[in-house]
Amino acid sequence: MSIIHNALSGALAAQAALHTASQNVANLMTPGYTRQGVLLASVQPMFAGKLSAGSGVSVASLVRFSDEYKSLQMWRAASELGERSAAQPYLTQLEQVMGAEESGINSGLDAFFSALNAASVDPTSTPLRQQVIKAADALAQRFNSLNQVMSGQRSAVSQQRLAVVEQINALAAEIAKLNRHIADSQGTGVNPTALIDQRDMKIDELARLVDLQVVNQPDGTRSVSLRGGQPLVLGARSATMTATYNPDGSQTLTVDFASESFTLINNRLGGELGGLEHFEVDVLVPMMQSVSAMAEQFADNVNTQLTAGFAPDGSAGQPLFEFDSTGAVGILRLRDGAIGSELAFSSNPATPGNSDNLLLLIALRNQPVTLPTLGAVSLADAATQLVGTLGTESQQNQAGLATAETVRNQAEESWKSTSGVNADEEAVNLMQFQQLYQANMKVVAVANELFESTLAILS
Amino acid sequence: MRIASTQYHATMNTALQNASARLELILQKMASGQKYMLPSENPIASVRMSRLAREEATLDQYRENIAALRERLTRNEQYLDAMSADMLSARDLMVWAADGSNTSADVNAMASSLQPLMDSIFFTANARDAEGRYEFSGSATSTPTITYDPAAPAGSRYTYTGNTDVQLVVVGNGVTQPANVALNEIAAMLNQLDEVRVVLTTPNVSVNDPAVRAAIAATMDSLDGTLESITGKIATLGGSQNILMTLEENHSSVSLSNKQAALVLGQLDYADAAVKLNGYTTAVQATQRAYGAVSKLSLFDVI
Repeated sequence: MSIIHNALSGALAAQAALHTASQNVANLMTPGYTRQGVLLASVQPMFAGKLSAGSGVSVASLVRFSDEYKSLQMWRAASELGERSAAQPYLTQLEQVMGAEESGINSGLDAFFSALNAASVDPTSTPLRQQVIKAADALAQRFNSLNQVMSGQRSAVSQQRLAVVEQINALAAEIAKLNRHIADSQGTGVNPTALIDQRDMKIDELARLVDLQVVNQPDGTRSVSLRGGQPLVLGARSATMTATYNPDGSQTLTVDFASESFTLINNRLGGELGGLEHFEVDVLVPMMQSVSAMAEQFADNVNTQLTAGFAPDGSAGQPLFEFDSTGAVGILRLRDGAIGSELAFSSNPATPGNSDNLLLLIALRNQPVTLPTLGAVSLADAATQLVGTLGTESQQNQAGLATAETVRNQAEESWKSTSGVNADEEAVNLMQFQQLYQANMKVVAVANELFESTLAILS
Repeated sequence: MRIASTQYHATMNTALQNASARLELILQKMASGQKYMLPSENPIASVRMSRLAREEATLDQYRENIAALRERLTRNEQYLDAMSADMLSARDLMVWAADGSNTSADVNAMASSLQPLMDSIFFTANARDAEGRYEFSGSATSTPTITYDPAAPAGSRYTYTGNTDVQLVVVGNGVTQPANVALNEIAAMLNQLDEVRVVLTTPNVSVNDPAVRAAIAATMDSLDGTLESITGKIATLGGSQNILMTLEENHSSVSLSNKQAALVLGQLDYADAAVKLNGYTTAVQATQRAYGAVSKLSLFDVI
């Protein structure tokens, strides 16, 4: 009788294994699916005696093929990738705008100083003076449009940060919910593998947004906190992150968990949040300050020189530019009513054709301006150097991005090599377990024949 | 290492995406002829190219200034030439008048020929440009070079009302050239001519009168002195033209070498780009074939 019993246990084990293989094949293309297998164990003989081989086979449990370390590696890679890829579009856009030879600050300055140089041929000529005014206006527009692009980027960064914060909150809430289901299922004995897969996918999404520390708890849940230790998910409870605007245009992030509130100040957060912060704090704001300082000092220098001279009609020189760092329309514009005949090129009220002051204006091109990011650089070279530093910044980020992509790809590949489904392997499993099933059925048949023979003798 | 089935697809996707990005970039470069599309591709080269562009812009302006200045100097030279021709005619008249056999009627007639020459010199000295500014008043371009006051006694009717300031034009980095000529000596000469004209117009004037002879001699001296000065200024203008031509040549050779440097730095090497394009295309085709072959392999096809 034990032969039939053994064969039955084998057939049942084969069925369980075939079922598991079918689940694996069905989820061949499911992202984040962790393949499963059966853990077979032989059963100790139930009857005493040296000649009892054993009491069949049992499926001790289903195995989840997963490696915690590989998951952690994948999440860390997601944070790095998120950080680099969030900043890159902004860097590229800024580079395109600032690096454009025809529309940049540089060629505007060239045109302005060319107009002044041209005026030195005939300092009292009205068309030449008018050309100076036109070039000055065009230059102011260039400063303004660059400033506008950067202000636009800043508000885009703020908007994106708000969206990311919302996503973080939604994901944290979902992870907490899945944690609860997983803990519950352990109590009820349901296989939680699908829930675990779902939760880990959510953690992966969350890791792309902000760098995480993930700690496993004995009840199967995972606790998730920020790099600085501020909790996002603890068991079935999740935190809420909020971004609030400051008067200077920056944003402050706070995390509220239960009754506690954590303010994230200048933290290197990692992930997309960190990438946005890095771009805003280390690239965009210094660049805005530099461009603004350049415009201000250029305007001041030109105005000071002009007011030291005299217009052709002998009147004292008037400033040409007006600078306003918070201007709604732009940071730099021409003084209302500025006209060519007012430009003070002469150093003497009695001699309109004198060009001494004009020569000093032309020399401003090589005078230094002091920028927050570069220190003292000549006005003519300032924009070039700003583009150079931006280019270097972008180049570094691109190199980092390429590395992060490779690392992430490898981490995914490594995770899949443990947890991913291989169709050929499942085909082999199917054949083997089919054979296992058939063999056990054959054993039943043999046992049945033996039984029949025994009955035949008796009858 | 164990490979999951989806890994083939993921690898293929990554490979194709990378290849597309590379192809897209090389196509953009080939379309624009630029070696670098963004400063970040080579920040150092972009800084150097930008500096070359700045220098080119300044050189262009210097060269334009030189062209405009040469035009202005040539115009001044023509005025001075015309003026010295008038002065030579006046001198001829003086030589003629000094002849002792001239009757007073002859001398009166000569004096009347002097007036148009004086007028011509006066108007030329007060020459104005298209915008009405006086060419020879130094930097006092809105005041006439020479002012004529008919109420004053002969000999002090003409006054130089300009100044002798030099207008400097920028023609190179830190290099300036004067653009104007001040005709401060003409007024004194015109006064002298005016004086002699009055003397010679006197009825029954005799050239043998020592006072008349002295006036004629003084006028000839004044004419000679002024002619010498004007000829000197014409020579200076010629010298300026030579300096400007030399500067222009220097600027154009620097500009040429800048352009060559910019080409080397920023121009796409099409041969190299075409080779890369071929290489990338081959790589994509090979990857696609390999994927096609690998994805056909499945144990499910044979069981």
